[in-house]
Amino acid sequence: MMKRLFASFCALMMLVSSSAFATSDSPVETIRDGARQVLDLLKQDNGKNTRQIRQQVEAVAVPQFDFQRMTALAVGRGWRQATPEQQQQLSQEFQTLLVRIYTSTMTRYKGTQVDVKPNPILASNGREATVKSEVTLPNSSDKKPVSIDYTLYKTSQGWKIYNVSVEGASLVTVYRNQFNDEINKNGVDGLIKMLKDKNAGVTAKGNA
Amino acid sequence: MNRSIRTLTVSATLLVAGCATHPSNPEDPYESYNRAMYAVNDRLDRAVIKPAAQGYRAITPQPVRNGISNFFDNFRDMYSAASNLLRGHVEDTLNDIMRVALNSTFGLGGLLDIADPAKLKNNKTTLGDTFASWGWKNSNYFVMPILGPSTVRDGLGTATTLAVPGPEHRVYENTDGGAYIYWGLNGISTREKLLDVTNAVDEAAVDRYSYTRDAYMQLRAKQVGAPLPKPSDSDANDMNIDELVAPTGGAASAPAGEVAKPAASAPAAAPAPAH
Repeated sequence: MMKRLFASFCALMMLVSSSAFATSDSPVETIRDGARQVLDLLKQDNGKNTRQIRQQVEAVAVPQFDFQRMTALAVGRGWRQATPEQQQQLSQEFQTLLVRIYTSTMTRYKGTQVDVKPNPILASNGREATVKSEVTLPNSSDKKPVSIDYTLYKTSQGWKIYNVSVEGASLVTVYRNQFNDEINKNGVDGLIKMLKDKNAGVTAKGNA
Repeated sequence: MNRSIRTLTVSATLLVAGCATHPSNPEDPYESYNRAMYAVNDRLDRAVIKPAAQGYRAITPQPVRNGISNFFDNFRDMYSAASNLLRGHVEDTLNDIMRVALNSTFGLGGLLDIADPAKLKNNKTTLGDTFASWGWKNSNYFVMPILGPSTVRDGLGTATTLAVPGPEHRVYENTDGGAYIYWGLNGISTREKLLDVTNAVDEAAVDRYSYTRDAYMQLRAKQVGAPLPKPSDSDANDMNIDELVAPTGGAASAPAGEVAKPAASAPAAAPAPAH
Protein backbone atom coordinates (compact mmCIF):
# COMPACT_ATOMS: atom_id res chain seq x y z
CA MET A 1 0.00 0.00 0.00
CA MET A 2 2.71 2.43 0.92
CA LYS A 3 4.30 1.45 -2.33
CA ARG A 4 1.46 3.15 -4.08
CA LEU A 5 2.26 6.25 -2.19
CA PHE A 6 5.68 5.94 -3.73
CA ALA A 7 4.06 6.50 -7.07
CA SER A 8 2.82 9.79 -5.77
CA PHE A 9 6.32 11.04 -6.03
CA CYS A 10 6.18 10.99 -9.75
CA ALA A 11 2.75 12.51 -9.79
CA LEU A 12 3.61 16.15 -10.09
CA MET A 13 6.00 15.71 -12.92
CA MET A 14 3.34 14.08 -14.98
CA LEU A 15 0.99 16.94 -14.59
CA VAL A 16 2.51 19.31 -16.96
CA SER A 17 1.99 21.02 -20.21
CA SER A 18 3.76 23.68 -22.19
CA SER A 19 2.44 27.19 -22.52
CA ALA A 20 1.28 26.20 -25.98
CA PHE A 21 -1.38 24.11 -24.33
CA ALA A 22 -2.15 26.51 -21.55
CA THR A 23 -5.20 27.73 -23.37
CA SER A 24 -6.40 24.21 -24.01
CA ASP A 25 -10.03 24.01 -23.01
CA SER A 26 -9.85 20.34 -22.19
CA PRO A 27 -8.57 19.26 -18.79
CA VAL A 28 -7.81 15.81 -20.16
CA GLU A 29 -5.60 17.27 -22.89
CA THR A 30 -3.86 19.44 -20.32
CA ILE A 31 -2.89 16.38 -18.31
CA ARG A 32 -2.16 14.20 -21.32
CA ASP A 33 0.12 16.69 -23.04
CA GLY A 34 1.83 17.48 -19.80
CA ALA A 35 2.55 13.87 -19.02
CA ARG A 36 3.89 13.30 -22.50
CA GLN A 37 6.20 16.30 -22.33
CA VAL A 38 7.62 15.41 -18.96
CA LEU A 39 8.16 11.78 -19.90
CA ASP A 40 9.87 12.94 -23.10
CA LEU A 41 12.12 15.20 -21.09
CA LEU A 42 12.96 12.41 -18.69
CA LYS A 43 13.98 10.17 -21.59
CA GLN A 44 16.73 12.66 -22.41
CA ASP A 45 18.27 12.17 -19.00
CA ASN A 46 21.62 10.43 -19.30
CA GLY A 47 22.84 10.78 -15.75
CA LYS A 48 24.97 13.83 -16.51
CA ASN A 49 22.33 16.37 -17.42
CA THR A 50 19.95 15.54 -14.58
CA ARG A 51 20.08 19.03 -13.16
CA GLN A 52 19.24 20.55 -16.51
CA ILE A 53 16.40 18.14 -17.13
CA ARG A 54 15.02 18.90 -13.71
CA GLN A 55 15.00 22.61 -14.48
CA GLN A 56 13.26 22.01 -17.79
CA VAL A 57 10.63 19.84 -16.16
CA GLU A 58 10.07 22.48 -13.51
CA ALA A 59 9.72 25.11 -16.19
CA VAL A 60 6.90 23.25 -17.91
CA ALA A 61 5.29 21.80 -14.79
CA VAL A 62 5.09 24.72 -12.39
CA PRO A 63 2.84 26.94 -14.58
CA GLN A 64 0.29 24.14 -14.72
CA PHE A 65 -0.47 24.45 -11.04
CA ASP A 66 -2.27 27.05 -9.02
CA PHE A 67 -0.14 26.91 -5.91
CA GLN A 68 -2.16 29.55 -4.14
CA ARG A 69 -5.34 27.54 -4.45
CA MET A 70 -3.42 24.40 -3.60
CA THR A 71 -2.05 25.99 -0.44
CA ALA A 72 -5.51 27.21 0.55
CA LEU A 73 -6.78 23.65 0.18
CA ALA A 74 -3.91 22.35 2.28
CA VAL A 75 -4.35 24.92 5.04
CA GLY A 76 -8.14 24.78 5.17
CA ARG A 77 -10.01 27.25 7.33
CA GLY A 78 -6.81 28.75 8.71
CA TRP A 79 -6.35 30.30 5.27
CA ARG A 80 -8.86 33.01 6.16
CA GLN A 81 -6.87 34.03 9.22
CA ALA A 82 -3.89 34.78 7.02
CA THR A 83 -3.30 38.24 5.61
CA PRO A 84 -2.68 38.51 1.86
CA GLU A 85 1.05 38.83 2.58
CA GLN A 86 1.00 35.73 4.75
CA GLN A 87 -0.95 33.84 2.09
CA GLN A 88 1.64 34.87 -0.44
CA GLN A 89 4.45 33.60 1.78
CA LEU A 90 2.65 30.37 2.60
CA SER A 91 2.06 29.65 -1.08
CA GLN A 92 5.66 30.40 -1.90
CA GLU A 93 7.03 28.09 0.79
CA PHE A 94 4.55 25.32 0.03
CA GLN A 95 5.40 25.54 -3.66
CA THR A 96 9.11 25.32 -2.87
CA LEU A 97 8.48 22.28 -0.69
CA LEU A 98 6.33 20.44 -3.25
CA VAL A 99 8.52 21.22 -6.24
CA ARG A 100 11.58 20.07 -4.38
CA ILE A 101 10.04 16.80 -3.21
CA TYR A 102 8.66 15.86 -6.56
CA THR A 103 11.57 16.82 -8.74
CA SER A 104 14.41 15.53 -6.57
CA THR A 105 13.87 11.89 -7.51
CA MET A 106 12.14 12.30 -10.84
CA THR A 107 14.74 10.72 -13.07
CA ARG A 108 13.93 7.45 -11.37
CA TYR A 109 10.63 7.49 -13.23
CA LYS A 110 12.14 7.29 -16.65
CA GLY A 111 10.10 4.78 -18.61
CA THR A 112 6.96 5.29 -16.56
CA GLN A 113 3.76 4.73 -18.49
CA VAL A 114 0.83 7.04 -18.01
CA ASP A 115 -2.65 6.22 -19.18
CA VAL A 116 -4.87 9.29 -18.92
CA LYS A 117 -8.55 8.37 -18.88
CA PRO A 118 -10.69 10.23 -21.41
CA ASN A 119 -13.74 10.98 -19.26
CA PRO A 120 -13.15 13.50 -16.49
CA ILE A 121 -15.58 13.94 -13.61
CA LEU A 122 -16.99 17.42 -13.90
CA ALA A 123 -18.16 19.55 -11.00
CA SER A 124 -19.23 23.13 -10.32
CA ASN A 125 -21.01 23.55 -13.65
CA GLY A 126 -18.03 22.32 -15.60
CA ARG A 127 -15.57 24.71 -14.06
CA GLU A 128 -13.88 21.89 -12.16
CA ALA A 129 -12.73 18.59 -13.49
CA THR A 130 -11.13 15.54 -11.98
CA VAL A 131 -9.03 13.67 -14.51
CA LYS A 132 -8.18 10.08 -13.74
CA SER A 133 -5.04 8.31 -14.81
CA GLU A 134 -3.25 5.06 -14.29
CA VAL A 135 0.49 5.03 -13.90
CA THR A 136 2.71 2.02 -14.32
CA LEU A 137 6.10 2.41 -12.76
CA PRO A 138 9.23 0.95 -14.31
CA ASN A 139 11.38 -1.53 -12.39
CA SER A 140 8.62 -2.33 -9.99
CA SER A 141 7.95 -5.87 -8.89
CA ASP A 142 4.33 -4.82 -8.50
CA LYS A 143 2.83 -4.53 -11.95
CA LYS A 144 -0.40 -3.13 -10.64
CA PRO A 145 -0.88 0.39 -12.00
CA VAL A 146 -1.29 3.22 -9.53
CA SER A 147 -4.34 5.41 -9.88
CA ILE A 148 -3.64 9.12 -9.80
CA ASP A 149 -6.40 11.72 -9.96
CA TYR A 150 -5.85 15.37 -10.80
CA THR A 151 -8.35 18.04 -9.90
CA LEU A 152 -8.27 21.11 -12.12
CA TYR A 153 -10.29 24.26 -12.37
CA LYS A 154 -10.81 26.64 -15.20
CA THR A 155 -9.09 29.99 -15.17
CA SER A 156 -8.61 32.68 -17.79
CA GLN A 157 -5.17 31.14 -18.38
CA GLY A 158 -6.59 27.69 -19.01
CA TRP A 159 -7.03 24.74 -16.71
CA LYS A 160 -4.90 24.71 -13.58
CA ILE A 161 -4.24 21.79 -11.27
CA TYR A 162 -4.77 22.31 -7.57
CA ASN A 163 -5.17 18.82 -6.15
CA VAL A 164 -3.55 15.47 -6.80
CA SER A 165 -4.67 12.20 -5.25
CA VAL A 166 -2.83 8.92 -5.33
CA GLU A 167 -5.04 5.91 -4.70
CA GLY A 168 -7.50 8.23 -3.05
CA ALA A 169 -4.98 9.96 -0.80
CA SER A 170 -4.58 13.65 -1.54
CA LEU A 171 -1.02 14.90 -1.62
CA VAL A 172 -2.39 18.29 -0.63
CA THR A 173 -4.90 17.69 2.14
CA VAL A 174 -2.50 15.25 3.78
CA TYR A 175 -0.87 18.39 5.11
CA ARG A 176 -3.96 19.88 6.66
CA ASN A 177 -3.68 18.39 10.13
CA GLN A 178 0.01 19.21 10.32
CA PHE A 179 -0.66 22.79 9.24
CA ASN A 180 -3.60 23.21 11.60
CA ASP A 181 -1.65 21.95 14.57
CA GLU A 182 1.03 24.53 13.88
CA ILE A 183 -1.43 27.38 13.30
CA ASN A 184 -3.18 26.52 16.56
CA LYS A 185 0.11 26.51 18.40
CA ASN A 186 2.07 29.33 16.82
CA GLY A 187 -0.26 31.11 14.43
CA VAL A 188 0.11 31.62 10.70
CA ASP A 189 3.58 33.08 11.14
CA GLY A 190 4.57 29.93 13.00
CA LEU A 191 3.49 27.85 10.01
CA ILE A 192 5.41 30.08 7.59
CA LYS A 193 8.49 29.74 9.75
CA MET A 194 8.08 25.99 10.00
CA LEU A 195 7.86 25.64 6.22
CA LYS A 196 10.86 27.93 5.76
CA ASP A 197 12.89 25.85 8.20
CA LYS A 198 11.75 22.67 6.47
CA ASN A 199 12.78 24.01 3.08
CA ALA A 200 16.12 25.17 4.40
CA GLY A 201 16.71 21.75 5.92
CA VAL A 202 15.76 19.90 2.78
CA THR A 203 18.00 22.14 0.74
CA ALA A 204 20.92 21.37 2.99
CA LYS A 205 20.21 17.65 2.82
CA GLY A 206 19.66 17.73 -0.92
CA ASN A 207 23.03 19.32 -1.52
CA ALA A 208 24.89 16.99 0.75
CA MET B 1 9.88 -13.91 15.53
CA ASN B 2 6.30 -14.72 14.77
CA ARG B 3 5.63 -15.28 18.42
CA SER B 4 7.44 -12.20 19.58
CA ILE B 5 5.49 -10.03 17.15
CA ARG B 6 2.35 -11.57 18.51
CA THR B 7 3.34 -10.95 22.11
CA LEU B 8 4.27 -7.39 21.34
CA THR B 9 1.02 -6.78 19.53
CA VAL B 10 -1.05 -8.15 22.35
CA SER B 11 0.80 -6.17 24.98
CA ALA B 12 0.53 -3.03 22.90
CA THR B 13 -3.20 -3.55 22.52
CA LEU B 14 -3.51 -3.93 26.27
CA LEU B 15 -1.42 -0.84 26.68
CA VAL B 16 -3.84 1.08 24.50
CA ALA B 17 -6.83 -0.27 26.36
CA GLY B 18 -5.42 0.98 29.63
CA CYS B 19 -4.06 4.18 28.23
CA ALA B 20 -5.42 7.51 29.39
CA THR B 21 -5.21 9.47 26.20
CA HIS B 22 -5.44 13.17 25.56
CA PRO B 23 -6.55 13.33 21.97
CA SER B 24 -5.95 16.54 20.12
CA ASN B 25 -7.54 15.07 17.03
CA PRO B 26 -10.90 13.33 17.38
CA GLU B 27 -9.98 11.13 14.43
CA ASP B 28 -6.95 9.81 16.32
CA PRO B 29 -8.03 9.04 19.89
CA TYR B 30 -4.94 6.92 20.61
CA GLU B 31 -2.59 9.64 19.47
CA SER B 32 -0.44 9.69 22.59
CA TYR B 33 0.12 5.93 22.47
CA ASN B 34 0.51 6.03 18.69
CA ARG B 35 3.13 8.74 18.80
CA ALA B 36 5.05 6.86 21.47
CA MET B 37 4.95 3.63 19.46
CA TYR B 38 5.86 5.52 16.33
CA ALA B 39 8.93 6.91 18.08
CA VAL B 40 9.96 3.44 19.24
CA ASN B 41 9.46 1.95 15.78
CA ASP B 42 11.31 4.83 14.20
CA ARG B 43 14.31 4.37 16.47
CA LEU B 44 14.36 0.64 15.79
CA ASP B 45 14.00 1.28 12.09
CA ARG B 46 16.84 3.75 11.91
CA ALA B 47 19.11 1.60 14.01
CA VAL B 48 18.46 -1.82 12.52
CA ILE B 49 15.71 -2.39 10.00
CA LYS B 50 16.39 0.38 7.50
CA PRO B 51 20.15 -0.26 7.35
CA ALA B 52 19.41 -3.94 6.84
CA ALA B 53 17.03 -3.13 4.00
CA GLN B 54 19.59 -0.79 2.44
CA GLY B 55 22.24 -3.48 2.69
CA TYR B 56 19.86 -5.97 1.14
CA ARG B 57 19.23 -3.59 -1.75
CA ALA B 58 22.94 -3.04 -2.19
CA ILE B 59 23.93 -6.70 -2.41
CA THR B 60 21.03 -8.12 -4.44
CA PRO B 61 20.08 -7.40 -8.04
CA GLN B 62 16.48 -6.41 -8.77
CA PRO B 63 15.46 -9.79 -10.29
CA VAL B 64 16.54 -11.57 -7.12
CA ARG B 65 14.59 -9.13 -5.00
CA ASN B 66 11.56 -9.57 -7.24
CA GLY B 67 11.81 -13.32 -6.79
CA ILE B 68 12.00 -13.07 -3.03
CA SER B 69 9.17 -10.58 -2.97
CA ASN B 70 7.05 -12.87 -5.17
CA PHE B 71 7.78 -15.77 -2.87
CA PHE B 72 6.28 -13.96 0.11
CA ASP B 73 3.48 -12.54 -2.00
CA ASN B 74 2.46 -16.08 -2.82
CA PHE B 75 1.72 -16.61 0.87
CA ARG B 76 -0.19 -13.33 0.95
CA ASP B 77 -2.34 -14.73 -1.85
CA MET B 78 -3.12 -17.73 0.35
CA TYR B 79 -4.26 -15.45 3.15
CA SER B 80 -6.07 -13.39 0.58
CA ALA B 81 -8.00 -16.45 -0.57
CA ALA B 82 -9.08 -17.13 3.02
CA SER B 83 -10.06 -13.52 3.60
CA ASN B 84 -12.05 -13.42 0.38
CA LEU B 85 -13.81 -16.64 1.32
CA LEU B 86 -14.74 -15.21 4.72
CA ARG B 87 -16.32 -12.19 3.11
CA GLY B 88 -18.18 -14.40 0.65
CA HIS B 89 -16.37 -13.31 -2.49
CA VAL B 90 -16.31 -16.66 -4.20
CA GLU B 91 -14.94 -15.45 -7.50
CA ASP B 92 -12.05 -13.61 -5.86
CA THR B 93 -11.37 -16.64 -3.67
CA LEU B 94 -11.08 -18.88 -6.72
CA ASN B 95 -8.94 -16.25 -8.42
CA ASP B 96 -6.54 -16.22 -5.48
CA ILE B 97 -6.44 -20.01 -5.29
CA MET B 98 -5.61 -20.16 -8.99
CA ARG B 99 -2.85 -17.60 -8.46
CA VAL B 100 -1.32 -19.68 -5.70
CA ALA B 101 -1.68 -22.86 -7.73
CA LEU B 102 0.00 -21.36 -10.79
CA ASN B 103 2.74 -19.55 -8.93
CA SER B 104 3.54 -22.43 -6.60
CA THR B 105 3.97 -24.88 -9.48
CA PHE B 106 4.97 -23.30 -12.76
CA GLY B 107 6.11 -20.23 -10.84
CA LEU B 108 8.72 -22.35 -9.06
CA GLY B 109 7.31 -22.14 -5.57
CA GLY B 110 6.24 -18.55 -5.93
CA LEU B 111 9.55 -17.11 -7.09
CA LEU B 112 8.00 -16.13 -10.40
CA ASP B 113 4.72 -14.33 -10.62
CA ILE B 114 3.19 -15.92 -13.67
CA ALA B 115 -0.36 -15.33 -12.44
CA ASP B 116 -0.18 -11.66 -13.41
CA PRO B 117 0.68 -12.36 -17.05
CA ALA B 118 -1.98 -15.05 -16.96
CA LYS B 119 -4.45 -12.23 -16.29
CA LEU B 120 -5.37 -13.40 -12.82
CA LYS B 121 -6.26 -10.37 -10.75
CA ASN B 122 -3.82 -9.39 -8.06
CA ASN B 123 -6.28 -8.14 -5.50
CA LYS B 124 -4.73 -9.05 -2.23
CA THR B 125 -7.25 -8.95 0.54
CA THR B 126 -6.45 -9.01 4.21
CA LEU B 127 -8.51 -10.01 7.20
CA GLY B 128 -8.86 -6.29 7.92
CA ASP B 129 -10.60 -5.91 4.56
CA THR B 130 -12.91 -8.75 5.51
CA PHE B 131 -13.80 -7.04 8.79
CA ALA B 132 -14.44 -3.85 6.82
CA SER B 133 -16.73 -5.70 4.44
CA TRP B 134 -18.66 -7.01 7.43
CA GLY B 135 -19.45 -3.43 8.31
CA TRP B 136 -16.48 -2.27 10.37
CA LYS B 137 -15.73 0.58 7.99
CA ASN B 138 -14.37 3.18 10.34
CA SER B 139 -11.53 2.24 12.56
CA ASN B 140 -9.12 4.42 14.46
CA TYR B 141 -5.50 4.76 13.55
CA PHE B 142 -3.29 2.36 15.42
CA VAL B 143 0.49 2.08 15.18
CA MET B 144 1.53 -1.54 15.54
CA PRO B 145 4.79 -2.48 17.18
CA ILE B 146 7.44 -2.99 14.47
CA LEU B 147 4.84 -3.25 11.69
CA GLY B 148 3.85 0.40 11.87
CA PRO B 149 0.76 2.13 10.44
CA SER B 150 -2.49 0.26 10.88
CA THR B 151 -5.93 0.66 12.35
CA VAL B 152 -7.49 -1.14 15.27
CA ARG B 153 -9.47 -3.23 12.77
CA ASP B 154 -6.51 -4.03 10.53
CA GLY B 155 -4.21 -4.57 13.48
CA LEU B 156 -6.60 -7.13 14.88
CA GLY B 157 -6.69 -8.80 11.48
CA THR B 158 -2.90 -8.85 11.23
CA ALA B 159 -2.52 -10.16 14.78
CA THR B 160 -5.02 -12.93 14.05
CA THR B 161 -3.25 -13.83 10.83
CA LEU B 162 0.05 -14.03 12.66
CA ALA B 163 -1.45 -16.06 15.51
CA VAL B 164 -3.02 -18.69 13.27
CA PRO B 165 -0.47 -21.28 12.15
CA GLY B 166 -0.66 -20.47 8.46
CA PRO B 167 0.74 -22.17 5.39
CA GLU B 168 4.15 -20.56 5.84
CA HIS B 169 4.69 -22.83 8.85
CA ARG B 170 5.07 -25.68 6.39
CA VAL B 171 8.17 -23.94 5.08
CA TYR B 172 10.01 -23.82 8.35
CA GLU B 173 8.27 -26.17 10.77
CA ASN B 174 11.04 -28.79 10.74
CA THR B 175 13.94 -26.41 10.69
CA ASP B 176 16.08 -24.81 13.32
CA GLY B 177 15.53 -21.09 13.30
CA GLY B 178 13.75 -21.27 9.96
CA ALA B 179 11.02 -19.05 11.29
CA TYR B 180 13.54 -16.31 12.01
CA ILE B 181 14.89 -16.51 8.48
CA TYR B 182 11.40 -16.54 6.98
CA TRP B 183 10.09 -13.58 8.96
CA GLY B 184 13.37 -11.72 8.91
CA LEU B 185 13.74 -11.91 5.15
CA ASN B 186 10.06 -11.20 4.67
CA GLY B 187 10.43 -8.08 6.78
CA ILE B 188 13.59 -6.90 5.08
CA SER B 189 12.10 -7.50 1.64
CA THR B 190 9.02 -5.51 2.60
CA ARG B 191 11.09 -2.74 4.10
CA GLU B 192 13.29 -2.57 1.02
CA LYS B 193 10.25 -1.93 -1.14
CA LEU B 194 9.28 0.91 1.17
CA LEU B 195 12.67 2.62 1.22
CA ASP B 196 11.74 5.15 -1.43
CA VAL B 197 8.44 5.89 0.21
CA THR B 198 9.89 6.53 3.63
CA ASN B 199 12.70 8.63 2.18
CA ALA B 200 10.10 10.69 0.37
CA VAL B 201 8.02 11.04 3.52
CA ASP B 202 11.12 12.24 5.33
CA GLU B 203 11.45 14.97 2.73
CA ALA B 204 7.80 15.83 2.35
CA ALA B 205 6.48 15.81 5.88
CA VAL B 206 6.67 18.61 8.36
CA ASP B 207 5.42 16.18 11.00
CA ARG B 208 6.27 12.66 9.90
CA TYR B 209 3.85 11.05 12.33
CA SER B 210 0.78 12.90 11.15
CA TYR B 211 1.81 12.86 7.49
CA THR B 212 2.12 9.09 7.60
CA ARG B 213 -1.12 8.75 9.53
CA ASP B 214 -3.15 11.00 7.28
CA ALA B 215 -1.83 9.48 4.06
CA TYR B 216 -2.40 5.97 5.40
CA MET B 217 -5.91 6.71 6.63
CA GLN B 218 -6.92 8.29 3.32
CA LEU B 219 -5.55 5.34 1.36
CA ARG B 220 -7.23 2.85 3.62
CA ALA B 221 -10.56 4.68 3.55
CA LYS B 222 -10.49 4.54 -0.23
CA GLN B 223 -9.64 0.84 -0.21
CA VAL B 224 -12.43 -0.23 2.11
CA GLY B 225 -14.94 2.26 0.74
CA ALA B 226 -15.25 4.29 3.91
CA PRO B 227 -15.80 8.05 3.94
CA LEU B 228 -12.61 10.07 3.89
CA PRO B 229 -11.29 10.91 7.34
CA LYS B 230 -12.09 14.43 8.47
CA PRO B 231 -9.25 16.83 9.18
CA SER B 232 -9.01 18.27 12.66
CA ASP B 233 -10.63 21.55 11.63
CA SER B 234 -14.01 19.82 11.82
CA ASP B 235 -16.32 20.75 8.97
CA ALA B 236 -13.45 21.62 6.66
CA ASN B 237 -14.17 18.63 4.45
CA ASP B 238 -17.29 20.40 3.30
CA MET B 239 -15.34 23.57 2.85
CA ASN B 240 -15.79 25.21 -0.50
CA ILE B 241 -12.43 25.96 -2.04
CA ASP B 242 -13.90 28.73 -4.17
CA GLU B 243 -15.19 30.52 -1.09
CA LEU B 244 -11.93 29.95 0.70
CA VAL B 245 -9.78 31.61 -1.93
CA ALA B 246 -12.33 34.27 -2.80
CA PRO B 247 -11.07 37.75 -1.90
CA THR B 248 -13.94 38.35 0.54
CA GLY B 249 -12.01 37.49 3.68
CA GLY B 250 -9.26 39.93 2.81
CA ALA B 251 -7.60 37.25 0.73
CA ALA B 252 -5.80 38.45 -2.34
CA SER B 253 -5.43 35.63 -4.77
CA ALA B 254 -3.19 35.52 -7.78
CA PRO B 255 -5.62 34.41 -10.46
CA ALA B 256 -8.28 36.50 -8.77
CA GLY B 257 -10.24 37.24 -11.91
CA GLU B 258 -11.38 33.71 -12.43
CA VAL B 259 -11.53 32.66 -8.82
CA ALA B 260 -13.72 35.51 -7.71
CA LYS B 261 -16.28 35.03 -10.42
CA PRO B 262 -17.14 31.39 -9.74
CA ALA B 263 -17.30 32.12 -6.03
CA ALA B 264 -20.19 34.49 -6.60
CA SER B 265 -22.30 31.67 -8.00
CA ALA B 266 -20.79 29.29 -5.46
CA PRO B 267 -22.26 25.89 -6.12
CA ALA B 268 -22.37 23.38 -3.31
CA ALA B 269 -20.28 20.80 -5.11
CA ALA B 270 -17.26 19.68 -3.17
CA PRO B 271 -13.92 20.66 -4.71
CA ALA B 272 -12.35 17.26 -4.60
CA PRO B 273 -13.80 13.82 -5.23
CA ALA B 274 -14.74 12.30 -1.92
CA HIS B 275 -14.23 8.73 -2.99
